[in-house]
Amino acid sequence: MSVLMNLFHVLVFPGLLFCVVMGVLLSGLDRIWVARMQRRVGPPLLQPLYDFLKCCGKETIIPRHARKAAFLAAPVVGFVALVSISLFLPVAGQEAVFSGSSDLVVILYLLTLVSVCMIVGAACSGAPFAGVGLSREMVAMISYELPFVLVILAVSSVTFTVTGNVPQSFSLQAIVDFQAANGALITRLSMIPAAIAMLLVIPCEVGNHPFDVAEAETEICEGTLSEYSGAPLAIFRLTHMVKMYIMAALFCVMFLGGITTGIVLLDIAIFVLFCIVLTFITSSLPHAVCARFKVEQVFKFYWTVVAGLAVISLILVWLGL
Amino acid sequence: MFEKMIDDSMSKSPWIFHINAGSCNGCDIELVSVLTPRYDAERLGFRLTGTPRQADIVVVSGPITVQTRDRLVRTLAQVPDPKCVVSLGSCPCSGNVFKGSYAIDGPLEKWTHVDVSVGGCTPKPEAIIAALAKATEILKEKRKEMRK
Repeated sequence: MSVLMNLFHVLVFPGLLFCVVMGVLLSGLDRIWVARMQRRVGPPLLQPLYDFLKCCGKETIIPRHARKAAFLAAPVVGFVALVSISLFLPVAGQEAVFSGSSDLVVILYLLTLVSVCMIVGAACSGAPFAGVGLSREMVAMISYELPFVLVILAVSSVTFTVTGNVPQSFSLQAIVDFQAANGALITRLSMIPAAIAMLLVIPCEVGNHPFDVAEAETEICEGTLSEYSGAPLAIFRLTHMVKMYIMAALFCVMFLGGITTGIVLLDIAIFVLFCIVLTFITSSLPHAVCARFKVEQVFKFYWTVVAGLAVISLILVWLGL
Repeated sequence: MFEKMIDDSMSKSPWIFHINAGSCNGCDIELVSVLTPRYDAERLGFRLTGTPRQADIVVVSGPITVQTRDRLVRTLAQVPDPKCVVSLGSCPCSGNVFKGSYAIDGPLEKWTHVDVSVGGCTPKPEAIIAALAKATEILKEKRKEMRK
């Protein structure tokens, strides 16, 4: 029975199926909203799914200069790493499938692995445009990683300073339990700068429009994806969609956790609603408002403004607000 | 069932790659205007890609100049099957006013199979959308043939 339950968790509810459905829903809504803000009609809601299926039906070309095994394995490894993050997230009042004392650190590493897989895939494709793309992807990674780590430190230390748990806990379950007892973290004064910083980290982490320096289609021929076609490309597209969901879910757990009604379906509905609102704030609005940043602008923005916000949050936590 | 879903999505998400083979930029501007808010081809799933590897429909504009000929043939070879070639404007069809020039090595049909061609100098955005919509149907047929 427990084997079946685990299989259900991995393949259906917080795992594969739920991730894919949410990813398609969120990115479809994102595209419609961007279109509406530009006074267009926009694609149908299921357009990301059509894109995915179409890519599956195309011929897969492996360039002569590519390293075949790594070129084909990179998207799959990245996707699996991303979906496995969902098993660490205690979403919608449910307990996480795997929970330990340092979930957040594991999630940080798995998210990095997703980007690293994209870099490895690009490096193995042997194309000069992919080379430019991967160096940009690395700069983007360095940019958002610092503020992201600072936000995680702030979140974990607020639970530490209030409850006095020793050692300091990076467990998401502990953070959600803390929020259930003391109210969501976003309502605390010290956490507001960290929440804003996290909202700004999400579009770069996902690789959405103003920060999509690595996949700038007009400048460097889709950058990291320039040699991918067919099924591997489809998996990369799916990874991008699911990443939108995973980051929204991570924000929900870290800052809006502990909101439960006791009814499972209602909890899931509230969680989906939160994810949709977060996608609007973090993806659609910046996409419609901003033009694409330059690489050095992204770096400067994240290491000054966003990291600064996260540090302010850490100081406020230290002051006990 | 999965195969049928792929067949259906083939005509719902065509990605365009645009090759300028010596065009005067008139047709290029009209192609871009197809994607702007006024005509909004994205509601039919069209998207401009930056690389031929991800393209479904290749749009070629301009009379094929001697300088661009080799690049054109090489780029077309990089597009994965099933693919569609659309010739945009009068230039790739006939050479237009440049016909007979020493610098022109057209028409496009000499180098590749053309599925849909739009006439006009420059064609109207409505005509381009109609041609692209026709190309998506051909794309679906090609996918069905490829499966057999």
